[in-house]
Amino acid sequence: MTGVTLTSVDKVFGSAKIIDNVSMDIAKGEFAVFVGPSGCGKSTLLRMIAGLEETSAGTVEIESRDVTQVEPAQREVAMVFQSYALYPHLSVFDNMAFSLRLAKTPKQQITAQVNEAARILKIEEQLDKKPSKLSGGQRQRVAIGRAIVRQPKVFLFDEPLSNLDAELRVQMRLELSQLHRQLGSTMIYVTHDQVEAMTLADKIFVLRGGVVQQSGTPLALYDDPDNQFVAGFIGSPAMNFLTATISAVTREGVVASIEGSGGQTLEATLRDTSLDIGQNVVLGIRPEHLHIREEGFSATVEMTENLGGVAYLHSRLAGGQKIVIERRGERQAYQCESISVWADAKHVLVFDQGGQRLR
Amino acid sequence: MAMITNRRKHIVVAMTLIAPFVFIFALVFLYPTVQMIGLSFTNAPLIGSGEWVGLDNYRRLLSDNLFYTSLKNNGYFVLLTVVPTTVIALAIALAVNRLSGRMQALVLAIFFLPYILPVSVVTQIWAWMLDFQFGILQPLLEWMTGRPVAVFNHPGWVMPTVAAITIWWTNGFNILLFIAGLRNISSDLYEAAALDGASRRQLFMKITWPLLWPVTALVLTLQLILQLKLFDQVYLLSGGGPFNSSYVLLMMVYREAFQLNNGGYASAVALVLFVLIMVVSVLQFQLLRIGGRK
Repeated sequence: MTGVTLTSVDKVFGSAKIIDNVSMDIAKGEFAVFVGPSGCGKSTLLRMIAGLEETSAGTVEIESRDVTQVEPAQREVAMVFQSYALYPHLSVFDNMAFSLRLAKTPKQQITAQVNEAARILKIEEQLDKKPSKLSGGQRQRVAIGRAIVRQPKVFLFDEPLSNLDAELRVQMRLELSQLHRQLGSTMIYVTHDQVEAMTLADKIFVLRGGVVQQSGTPLALYDDPDNQFVAGFIGSPAMNFLTATISAVTREGVVASIEGSGGQTLEATLRDTSLDIGQNVVLGIRPEHLHIREEGFSATVEMTENLGGVAYLHSRLAGGQKIVIERRGERQAYQCESISVWADAKHVLVFDQGGQRLR
Repeated sequence: MAMITNRRKHIVVAMTLIAPFVFIFALVFLYPTVQMIGLSFTNAPLIGSGEWVGLDNYRRLLSDNLFYTSLKNNGYFVLLTVVPTTVIALAIALAVNRLSGRMQALVLAIFFLPYILPVSVVTQIWAWMLDFQFGILQPLLEWMTGRPVAVFNHPGWVMPTVAAITIWWTNGFNILLFIAGLRNISSDLYEAAALDGASRRQLFMKITWPLLWPVTALVLTLQLILQLKLFDQVYLLSGGGPFNSSYVLLMMVYREAFQLNNGGYASAVALVLFVLIMVVSVLQFQLLRIGGRK
């Protein structure tokens, strides 16, 4: 069953197209994450689903009901704001009861629903306090509680964790994940933090310039990106990109010579073997897929970042291109040392000059 | 490293910093106030000393009909101005707040403009506009009442007219306070409430009004103090008349002190007004604060 469906949705401010022909399908009960750099339109898209922004073209459907022209309150969605947007003059209880009171819900039912939400979020002790007396994490819970109380069809989260400190963010991330499992509702979550996207999502939508670049499960995006932007955005540290020229086409793929390396090459597996020799491409290799091995290309380690379990060797190739190599359990301290780096052909992704993936 | 502070030096610096203010405050406020309280128990003229008469001045005040007339007129004026000006300022602020950018600045400036005029200019403008023979507003009054009205010579018209002029003159500042208050309310709250199902009316009643309450209480209190001090407009427009129907306490102080040379009696009236303003404004502010908390 469908949760939220967008069909050819546009958002135009003046002459600027903020959202450009976005279509997507989020299944009922799914945790979807919109991720992208700031200004990519992810928050606008969320606000359009909430009804806080008008939709310039296309349709928004929630559980198969067209809500494009429906008021926010009638869309049966609840939103958690980045600023929490708690009513400062009301107690925690009254904040959570606000929507129910407006809907003229019987008092007993209000009490029961608020208490239930408070129990789920472990804020029973705070119900009489004003929001200003709460810590950041507690306010966040109240904001989520206010959403839960409404029993919406869809939960919308607009960067809800970005005002919390790092430790609390990790904790709240886990709790949100548990909450989703507990409630089983459709949730849409906006973030610029790809780690949050990876850990929370059932399905990630990567946006740039108002266009969905790619959507899919976190690991599908990680392992099989459609273009250079998605490949670079998902994963930390980011994927290494090397400009190269096709020097040979083999049965399994291509051999590319790395720019400025004096003819050193790297093999990449490709199904499409119709590439021309001499064509310029970009090779993408994740840091964990680079290994120190004799038969590879040479690089100089400039700095080693050793975290104990994992070490990152920040290195530079002869032509000046930078790469990061991940090493597990590394104990050797590399200092301005020349190493030889190699990657398995099946882990080398090839992008054309426009950034599109060649498979 | 722990900060080492020399406590004595600290105090000396503090004293030096507040000394100029304390000196001027004592010279032009505290000393005259104490003198005035002393004066109110004597039969002294405006200049020179008099004899101690105890509570005589206050006894005389309680049997002075002009005192009761003035008190009543002060009360009437407060009723005519304080709440109306607050309501009007709030309404204008809500409207101006919906405009954006330069348009908002322009409209705000237009509403604020009268406030920068001196009282003499304000009263002159309105005296001309409401002139019985040539006033451009007379046709309007004629249309409303059927005949021209000499507003400053009519016991029923004079106070409401002075009140209307006062509101026009001072409202800009209140609008400014309300605009500042409105800008402090995050738009997220309105969006959250809209998602929670609040109508426009409910948005105002449940979000804007309670969050603006501290500003409203401040405006009401400032207005109360200001309007109890009414003097200039009445002095310049009607001189307290006709038949003392616009006579107020401060005019009484002025007449007793500067026209009749009764320094002692004038001091007693002034002290009563001072205590009245203090008690009423403190009481009102506290009541409003309690009201806001509920």
